[in-house]
Amino acid sequence: MAGHGTALVIDDEPQIVKAVARALGDIFEVVLRASTAQEGIDQAASARPDLIVLDLGLPDRDGLAVCREIRAWSSAAIIVLSARHSDHDKIALLDAGADDYVTKPFSTAELQARVRAQLRRARAILPSEGSAIEIDGLEIDLATRTVARAGEPIHLTPTEWALLRTFVRNAGKTLTHQQMFAEVWPNSGGDPQQYLRAYVATLRRKIERDPLRPNLILTESGAGYRFATL
Amino acid sequence: MPAIASRLSDGSVSARLRPFLTGLPWLALLAAVTVVLVIGRGHIDKVHAALGYLLVVLVASSRSGRGWGLATAVLAFLCFDFFLVPPYLSLSVEHQPDWIVLGSFLITGIVAAQLFDRAKREAREAQARTEEVDRFSVVGAEALNGGRAEQGPEALARILRETLQVKRCEIYLFEAPDKLRLVASATGGGGAGADFGGMPESPDGTDLLHYVARYRALAVQRPTGDVHVEPSDGHLSKLLAELPGSLVTLIPLTVRERTVGVVSLVGGGRPLDAAQIRFVEALAYYAALGVERVRLVAQEERAGALREADRLKDALLAAVSHELRTPLTTIKAVAHELRSREEGAAVIEAEADRLNRFVADLLDLSRLDSGSVTMRPEIVPADDLIGAALRQLSAGAAACDIRAQVPPNRILFCRIDFVLAQRCLVNILENAVRYCARGPVQVTAALEGSMVMFAVADCGPGVPDDEVELVFESFYRGRGVPAGSGTGLGLSIARRLARAQGGDVRYAPRPGGGSIFTLALPAADVPEDASAEAGDTP
Repeated sequence: MAGHGTALVIDDEPQIVKAVARALGDIFEVVLRASTAQEGIDQAASARPDLIVLDLGLPDRDGLAVCREIRAWSSAAIIVLSARHSDHDKIALLDAGADDYVTKPFSTAELQARVRAQLRRARAILPSEGSAIEIDGLEIDLATRTVARAGEPIHLTPTEWALLRTFVRNAGKTLTHQQMFAEVWPNSGGDPQQYLRAYVATLRRKIERDPLRPNLILTESGAGYRFATL
Repeated sequence: MPAIASRLSDGSVSARLRPFLTGLPWLALLAAVTVVLVIGRGHIDKVHAALGYLLVVLVASSRSGRGWGLATAVLAFLCFDFFLVPPYLSLSVEHQPDWIVLGSFLITGIVAAQLFDRAKREAREAQARTEEVDRFSVVGAEALNGGRAEQGPEALARILRETLQVKRCEIYLFEAPDKLRLVASATGGGGAGADFGGMPESPDGTDLLHYVARYRALAVQRPTGDVHVEPSDGHLSKLLAELPGSLVTLIPLTVRERTVGVVSLVGGGRPLDAAQIRFVEALAYYAALGVERVRLVAQEERAGALREADRLKDALLAAVSHELRTPLTTIKAVAHELRSREEGAAVIEAEADRLNRFVADLLDLSRLDSGSVTMRPEIVPADDLIGAALRQLSAGAAACDIRAQVPPNRILFCRIDFVLAQRCLVNILENAVRYCARGPVQVTAALEGSMVMFAVADCGPGVPDDEVELVFESFYRGRGVPAGSGTGLGLSIARRLARAQGGDVRYAPRPGGGSIFTLALPAADVPEDASAEAGDTP
């Protein structure tokens, strides 16, 4: 039943650790447990897990700082558990290097889905400039800069193209607005940035089957946008 | 009461005689000076005699006032003429120039008496002013001093009683919106009015005290027993002129069109001049200010206590919601594992979800109440808001047939906080699904003036006319709603979140049955190149 790879759960609540460990047990071969931030950092360094589930409310250190420290030397996917539901926190921890977050209380199915998405993303071979991809019936060729649905080419403006390229390259990862500005408008500040949502809405109308129920560009409320996993 | 009556008459007899008694010394002095001058009249000049008499006139007017000054002047003139101007013992004059001496003497005497009197009166008035200013400063200090609530009225009653010389001065203040309470009373010996037989009735048959407060009227009960009432604006002087003879006089204490209490003056008092009436008016205003200040201080203290209670409640709610979520997570996780084996486990998970929604709603409500919701307005396309709301619906609601529609040829924009607006729309959608489980529920966006209208139409039973505003109240559930569905907070939170960012949530019946809840949010202008880049070449 167990899969392969190693996961690490860092949480001080024994009941939550138990529940998370059980959920991860279906996916990973080894599930390590740590009950303090220091223990977690040590295990992350020694065992080199593929994925880390990190609780923000640790007794000894601020979860955000732990996240930043681990991200500095580890490429493991980090999923944060948080009981606070301030949007500011979410953006801060995505900017600090977390790959995803789950708000308490979460269902085992939800956590497992998030974990699998992270693993798929890690294993997926990101499209190089030379290869064409197809997702949800949309054909994207980064090399020739063409987009088409059912053979019908779709016309994109330079900004829309830059947006789509950024999304595709970070498929499966929640991008904060700040991260997208850095990719799409690296040299301009202010004005176009406040219209990010407007550009995304226009792009959705061009590439989604149903722009009101998007399958490709998903809105992560209070955090940013996430492109569907390839 | 014969004893009192005789004492009163004794008093009045001596009072009538007193002016004559005070003048006697001056008559004696005049006689003595005349005797001396008559003895020495062979050796002195008429001018010397005039100076001697003038001295008597000056002393008399300085000590006994103008009346005796003038009387002494005239008597001295007569004595001068009769005893010292030849022919002696006659009022006729031998040498005509002596008239000049006599005339000058009379005029000088009269003028001196007048001047003395005026100077004395001015000195007395200045003294009275000083006393008034003193009293003013005392009341002012009492009114503005942060002392106990009772101190101000007590000082006011004492000062008013002393100033007006009434038997008793009482201050009544409002203890409840319609109930006056006696808070201070000063009693003293003065006052010559008849006995006060209790508070008389007002013209409309109610208690006069409350009548005065209610209509901001002045009232006086005359010795005959009848009650006279008139509007308070500007007639205080007329009323106070009646004070000496009145049984009871009632004056409302008013600040900025608000009556805060009533002053009751019982039993007579002394006649007042214009300055004293002004003083009483100012005093009453000062006192009212003082009372109002005490009330405001008490109100502020209560508000402070409430704020503190609010803060504690918020802290408690935040802690409770945090502490609730951890066990909920465990419950959900365990239930999920059991689900494959146990039918009941699904119920556990559903109930845990419901509890969690309730905690989130409570937390939102508490944040809204304490004003700690922070807005981060940004430009949001209607497409994005509807899409995000549909994605966030709970599993049950998502299964419903929801048809969303936006204008196909243009994108509408709002300037709103995305997350809060999303919660509004999710709450409205969840509500619609609750009453229209199989659907279809329709969501549309349209621009109306400066607002973007998100209309959610359901096929439910609609809202009865008398419940339309109630559905937006916290914890309200419509009639005939199955128990255990929803928290009764969704629409209330949606409306408050919408209003907090310049929008609103409104209800309208749907033609053909059902409800339409409309979320109105402020529209935003977006430059053409950002909203429609379709014309550009790549």
